[in-house]
Amino acid sequence: MPLVEFHNYSMGFKDDDGNVSNLIDNLSFSIDEGKALGVVGESGCGKSMTSLSLMRLLPDAAVVQSGKILFDGKNVLEMSEKEMEVIRGNRLSMIFQEPMTSLNPVLTIGNQIGECLLLHHPDLAPDEIRARTIRSLESVGINNAEARLSQYPHEFSGGMRQRVMIAMAIINHPALLIADEPTTALDVTIQAQILDIMKGLKGDSGGLMMVTHNLGVVAEICEEVVVMYAGRAVERGTLKAIFDEPLHPYTIGLMSSIPTMTSDKSELPAIPGSVPTIYDFGKGCRFADRCSKCMERCMREVPKSLLVGKDHIVACWLYPEGEVV
Amino acid sequence: MEKGGPLLKVEHLTKLFPVKKTRFFEEQRHVHAVEDVSFELYEGETLGIVGESGSGKSTLARAILALTKVTSGTVIYRGEDITDFRVPPAKRKLLHSELQMIFQDPYASLNPKIKIGEAICEPMLANGQARNHDEAVKKTRHLLEIVGLRAECFDRFPHEFSGGQRQRIGIVRALAVNPRVLFCDESVSALDVSVQAQVLNLFNALKKEFNLTYVFIGHDLAVIRYISDRILVMYLGKVMEIARYDQLFSDRAHPYTKALVSAIPEPSTAARKERIILEGDIPSAVNPPEGCRFCQRCFMARPECFEVEPDFYEVEPGHFVRCPYMKGGE
Amino acid sequence: MSRYILRRLGRGVLTIFVSVTLVFFIVRAMPSDPVALMISPQMSQEQIDTLMHTYGLDQPLMTQYFLYMKELLMGNMGMSFAKRIPVGEYIMSRLPWTLMLLAAVMLIVCIIGIPIGLYAASRKGKLSDRIISIIVTMGISIFIPFMAFLLLYIFSFRLKILPTGGAYTPPTPEGFELVKQVACHIILPAIALSITNLANAVLYTRNSMIDVLHEDYIRTAYAKGNDRKRVIRRHAMKNALIPTVTVIGMQIGIMVGGATITETVFSWPGIGRLVYDSVNALDYPTLQGAFLIMAVAVVIMSFITDLVVAWLDPRIKLGD
Repeated sequence: MPLVEFHNYSMGFKDDDGNVSNLIDNLSFSIDEGKALGVVGESGCGKSMTSLSLMRLLPDAAVVQSGKILFDGKNVLEMSEKEMEVIRGNRLSMIFQEPMTSLNPVLTIGNQIGECLLLHHPDLAPDEIRARTIRSLESVGINNAEARLSQYPHEFSGGMRQRVMIAMAIINHPALLIADEPTTALDVTIQAQILDIMKGLKGDSGGLMMVTHNLGVVAEICEEVVVMYAGRAVERGTLKAIFDEPLHPYTIGLMSSIPTMTSDKSELPAIPGSVPTIYDFGKGCRFADRCSKCMERCMREVPKSLLVGKDHIVACWLYPEGEVV
Repeated sequence: MEKGGPLLKVEHLTKLFPVKKTRFFEEQRHVHAVEDVSFELYEGETLGIVGESGSGKSTLARAILALTKVTSGTVIYRGEDITDFRVPPAKRKLLHSELQMIFQDPYASLNPKIKIGEAICEPMLANGQARNHDEAVKKTRHLLEIVGLRAECFDRFPHEFSGGQRQRIGIVRALAVNPRVLFCDESVSALDVSVQAQVLNLFNALKKEFNLTYVFIGHDLAVIRYISDRILVMYLGKVMEIARYDQLFSDRAHPYTKALVSAIPEPSTAARKERIILEGDIPSAVNPPEGCRFCQRCFMARPECFEVEPDFYEVEPGHFVRCPYMKGGE
Repeated sequence: MSRYILRRLGRGVLTIFVSVTLVFFIVRAMPSDPVALMISPQMSQEQIDTLMHTYGLDQPLMTQYFLYMKELLMGNMGMSFAKRIPVGEYIMSRLPWTLMLLAAVMLIVCIIGIPIGLYAASRKGKLSDRIISIIVTMGISIFIPFMAFLLLYIFSFRLKILPTGGAYTPPTPEGFELVKQVACHIILPAIALSITNLANAVLYTRNSMIDVLHEDYIRTAYAKGNDRKRVIRRHAMKNALIPTVTVIGMQIGIMVGGATITETVFSWPGIGRLVYDSVNALDYPTLQGAFLIMAVAVVIMSFITDLVVAWLDPRIKLGD
């Protein structure tokens, strides 16, 4: 049984008049225990909402429309707030994009990390909490951890704060760690440090869901990939399948439009147009109006997600043959 | 200006920002934003300036364009000293149109209540690039089409555009006054990858069409490498390396550049080389380390690196590195 | 830390010096002559001269100023023209009443204002929040004397449940009876004086709480498994109170002297009333003394406010 399973999950946003515009549409994927999945996409593709849906921390205007999200076999969408509080920060934890603002400025680091233990293991002795907090800080490469417990977030650099966030997220050995753009706000050399730490964590058998726009980060750390575009999973499969044999025109376009350190100076094969907003999604394939291979059918019908190869699922009318999943 | 000489020459440019004193008798300290930077920019080339936060790359551009007063050093444009734009008013007007800057978010510099067409016409008229309003409008519509926006966009307001479109508007605004050199400060950083490629292509196309020279500033080495002919690598206010884009992978590259190149996660499944991971954070520019700026984090540092500031060495033709251990022969 | 206190002290002394100087000259620029009020027609010129001499009013203005400053440095604020007692003594007899009133106001603001603000923030956009917002706007814009008279009219004249003025009903009662009487008498002035401050406290608490609840670290707190109550209590409250404390602190300082109208309407024997009486009597020394006390109060309150804010917010470093 997979650790996490999204089953035809759909959600959207309610405007002031109560009308709901759909964002995430029929999203299905799963993460096996101990595996790292990358959720890739550009702004507004719904990747952050996917992770917040699993955490049940969606903003007020968000509305769940249909589907299931199973975690440990239970549907989190039907859990009570009390039940969610038990798994958040415990079996399921999350780190965020902005290390500068994600820590409480008026509480000490030790206090904020220790709180995770206190919430989920209320019977732990203060000494034990302190010892475990120090150990978790050391495990993410923070030197002199004992002295730093009594410091406040503003005394840490951005990279150090992200380490603290990671220490906080892994202290209860979660079954799944969700990382939402954990390195986007950081400098490249600091990003390399953080990715190194996160790679080190993978040995600890917990699963990872890496939400990012950076294909390089995904290639670095994940075994499986979901590519999202405008709220839909357009392609998913193993890292090798997606990176070496991408099928969906969007995935192909995305891969080739990124300048890399080895690319030549010829014109970049860019995808025309811009990322649609929630209000101008088309009726058929949401990528249709930017797609160079767009067919008449693409404008009318939503492409089905079909299994086209081993562990390789694509939602595109170019590949109409395949097993329905 | 002699033929074949540099279009723009920056010599020993330094910009220090005073740190606010907390005590009266305290010694005045400074943020060493840009220190002793010298380089030449040739007509028709694209010079990339790459660096992490605190490297001073944006301050450098602002100092050249007289958007902030330089502490010392000179800026020579077409053979003439234009430091802080201390030139006669007529000449200054010309400089303002010939040297243009494009920012990361042009939206912030657009008045939300003015139609973008008018916002573009205005500097054109002020700088004498158009004789009357009609001519300005015609020219603006033409430019909008060149950058891939429809001419109808003229009558729209800034908020009606997406990030990529706004960046195009920013480009049109700069192009409207017939610039020779465009300074692009993180101009594609905020864009989605699929849109970033379009804008990079646009920059390249415009360069040919309008005979432009670019100074392209950014933190993403892969993007800077793609767009640039030559690259300036900055760290803590100093230039560490000046190289042709294809010399970045050289064994003779500066250790910092090597680490930077190695730190970029490549979007491919190919087996990767052992990564160089730098220890620690970027130090504060208030108390930069003595000796080499990079000594504290350098994986090759030797004791003398902490004492003596290294010079530039030309390790290959046109490839300058501020590290004595890269000059070879050892 | 000690360096910080020293610096604050220096700045406070400077503030007080400047305000004392300004008050000295402003008072003397008033278009009346205090001597005219003190003398009676029967007095001989000689007697008048003696009187003028006693109070130093025959000296040139600058000499008067330097004499005043010299005496002040030695702790002597001069003699009241009206009461013929030392100003220090006169003010000290009034100060406790003002402080009592302020304490009552502060209590109301903290006990009622902050919780209402927090409550409104948690119900943002809902009916109860909107009603609170409307009342708050009214509270901020209300004309205090009008409010004072309205309270007097309703509770004292119509319902006759609270006294009309003063701090107690003469003759001075004793023991528990005094406490009871003062408690009854303080209610109306305290309410009148609280209205604006209360409204401000609600407004600031509500707005800053709403801002704080949208901060990233609040989301982090939920992601750790905190429940809503704990998030508000442990993660949001301290952050949200920082701006509120600053505002309340400054207001209290200003109110030491700013309660003139309220104290006069309710005949509350505090500093504000003293200012009113002294202006009427052209009692220069008392006026100067009263303003000195106000300046000191503002300086002390802003110092205390800074200490509290620094205690709440570790990003603010006092001293070096």
